[in-house]
Amino acid sequence: MKADGTIVARQLYKSFGSHEVLRGIDLSVKAGEISCIIGPSGSGKSTLLRCVNGLETVDRGVLRVNGEDFGYVEKGNAYHAVRPQRLAEQRARIGMVFQQFNLFPNMTAEDNVMSGPVLVKKISRKVAREQAQKLLAQVGLAGCGHKYPAQLSGGQQQRVAIARALAMEPSIMLFDEPTSALDPELVGEVLAVMRDLAHHGMTMLVVTHEMGFARDVADEVLFMDGGVAVERGDAREVLANPREKRTQEFLERVL
Amino acid sequence: MPELLPEEKKRITPKRPRDYLCWAVAIAIVGGLVHTTVTNENYQWPVVFSYFTTEAILDGLVLTLVLTVASMVLGTLLGLVLAVMRMSHQAPISGLARLYITFFRGTPVLVQLIFWFNIAALYPNVSIGIPFTDISTPVDVNALMTPLTAAIVGLTLNQAAYMAEIIRGGFASVNRGQHEAADSLGMSGFTRLRHVIIPQTMPAIIPATGNQVIGMLKETSLVSVLGVAELLNSAQSIYARTYQTIPLLIVASLWYLIMTMALSVPQSMIERRFSRSTRRPAPVAVATKESLL
Repeated sequence: MKADGTIVARQLYKSFGSHEVLRGIDLSVKAGEISCIIGPSGSGKSTLLRCVNGLETVDRGVLRVNGEDFGYVEKGNAYHAVRPQRLAEQRARIGMVFQQFNLFPNMTAEDNVMSGPVLVKKISRKVAREQAQKLLAQVGLAGCGHKYPAQLSGGQQQRVAIARALAMEPSIMLFDEPTSALDPELVGEVLAVMRDLAHHGMTMLVVTHEMGFARDVADEVLFMDGGVAVERGDAREVLANPREKRTQEFLERVL
Repeated sequence: MPELLPEEKKRITPKRPRDYLCWAVAIAIVGGLVHTTVTNENYQWPVVFSYFTTEAILDGLVLTLVLTVASMVLGTLLGLVLAVMRMSHQAPISGLARLYITFFRGTPVLVQLIFWFNIAALYPNVSIGIPFTDISTPVDVNALMTPLTAAIVGLTLNQAAYMAEIIRGGFASVNRGQHEAADSLGMSGFTRLRHVIIPQTMPAIIPATGNQVIGMLKETSLVSVLGVAELLNSAQSIYARTYQTIPLLIVASLWYLIMTMALSVPQSMIERRFSRSTRRPAPVAVATKESLL
């Protein structure tokens, strides 16, 4: 079972009906690298991220995650969809953090974090609970394990969601606008956890509007507009001296 | 009396005439009703009390409860199957379920009951057997479809259509993000359903099902037309003999009232339990954020 923490995409295409959302995207994230995807609403950033863990299927193109074809196997001249169990195995090695947190409201924070290890990896509840408590402490929520999501602030919920994803010990973490649904004063605590994660060598692909985070933490930035990768390169370089006109215009508007 | 400082003075809202008027009207109505029920001898209260716990009435009561439980249990199971079919991505499967639901919700349950009782007119003989073998038993539908069978079949099939929609509504109330979160953790379809989705459907399904039980309890009175000796039919049998129509209808009504009130107690307990285990995030906050996107 390979899990080398890399993402490679070549010429990805994806349409919703007649609307082409991804039009030939290339992407490459090396192990331990932090890559941020930026761009205006509707540019296809979230769709690209969701393709990487199979929440959306890809119409055409190459998508290799953790060193193997994701969701499909190459046979002859076609890619064949894998069985659901195989897809679930591949997904279990990729952590995903959603804009709306998507914590399970019927479970406490601790049970949320334990859900993957217990229900998917079939680890004993005792071991999973110890691990969950460690992870909650790591995201600054020691002692909050017994609370239900509705009793937590948005920032706390998102940190529980990060802990829940980390509990599966993924080799890659995906973040889909993790701070966009948060009140401004709560953004910092979530970004701090993400920075911490980045320093520990986690491969991260982050769709974000937080240009400060991209500049400080990211190795690479991908600017998307209209379903294409307009500009891609070293994070500080792209953000400070964008070459493309569209990138310049976007950055002028958001900074 | 010492003069209070303005800051210390109580603020009083004077009672308005309409506050008293509402009470006067309500008391007049209730008082009138009580007066007439007590003084009008045609109510024949002594007859009501003498029949309240007779064997025939109590037997009818038991049969009403049996019909309610049997039809609810079978109807819920069939409703679950129909709900799963209705949510299927296979168009023919969901189409079949939709057809069933439309038909059974679109025709009166009384008509359905009489229809099932007379089904032998349509199919006098059916044979039950194993396909592609010679093993089969002919069944006389007329003998099979007793009033009691027709009652259970009719109530069950009708109830299933309503339960299917309630169960489907429960599943629809769960945010798509919950499915995605479970998928992203690598959960199998069954695990996702069992541990994430179904617990979240319960707050929507349980209270509605409780209402259905109470509705079903009263609906069973319809099967009296088939001659099933449930509560109403038992009362009717007595007044057909004694002509004490009103007192016996009161006997039946009081029992229905007692049973529905008794059912509402566990229902509110279950409702409380489920609303406690599923603490949903404030929907207002989520809605605002989504609408900003």
